[in-house]
Amino acid sequence: MSSVFRALSDPTRRRVLQLLRTSPMTAGELADHFAVSKPTMSAHFNVLLAADLIAADKVGRTITYRLKLSVLEEALLEFAQAFGLTVTEDSAGAPDTETPPNDR
Amino acid sequence: MSAFTMPPTDMSHATIKPASHIRRALLGAALVLIIAAALRLASPEYLSPDLASRISGVLLGLVVIANANNVPKALPRRLPSGLNPAEEQSERRFVGWCLVLGGLGYSTAWLLAPIDRANAIAGMLLAATLILSIGRVVLGRSRPVR
Repeated sequence: MSSVFRALSDPTRRRVLQLLRTSPMTAGELADHFAVSKPTMSAHFNVLLAADLIAADKVGRTITYRLKLSVLEEALLEFAQAFGLTVTEDSAGAPDTETPPNDR
Repeated sequence: MSAFTMPPTDMSHATIKPASHIRRALLGAALVLIIAAALRLASPEYLSPDLASRISGVLLGLVVIANANNVPKALPRRLPSGLNPAEEQSERRFVGWCLVLGGLGYSTAWLLAPIDRANAIAGMLLAATLILSIGRVVLGRSRPVR
């Protein structure tokens, strides 16, 4: 469960989940919404994959991500979005990836 | 070459092993049966029949919630032919939310409604969400693929 909280604590990852709510998207399509480097986006995707909040399908060179949120996790996402959710580095158990200053 | 990387292990689909999934389901079912048997044994000597009915009703609602919670997370290995991935995802989310709210309504009705009407109210609430879910799926699949 802590991996879910850690994944939801970052605004970029929350935005990724919100984008995936409309439809599955490729890594490139998702990255186009953010002004961050591709390795940084990969790190964000990997955190979401590790928390089992998204699923990835790799066909050739294209990775398509799909939403994999339970109802409770989606409610938690809404809660985090509305009230903010911050997980400190110590409680998360691992250092966080670079967070973009402007993710919209 | 794509600059995006995936973790070395395949986490693309269900990360829960089937064996642990089945074990968890069996444990859940056993727990429900044990509680139901305990309520039967305790009633009417230690527990009034009304209270026993309420507890088992609330428990059934919780079982619905627990199962419905995972509906949006259960990704199909292969989509039914002609079904848009966005539409399929939207269906799963709608059905999950609908049934969780139905289960919540079922439990709440058993908890708060007058005992002589609790069964009918709870059943109607759950049936309504079930009909909504089925309606949403049927409607979604009858639309032409965009």
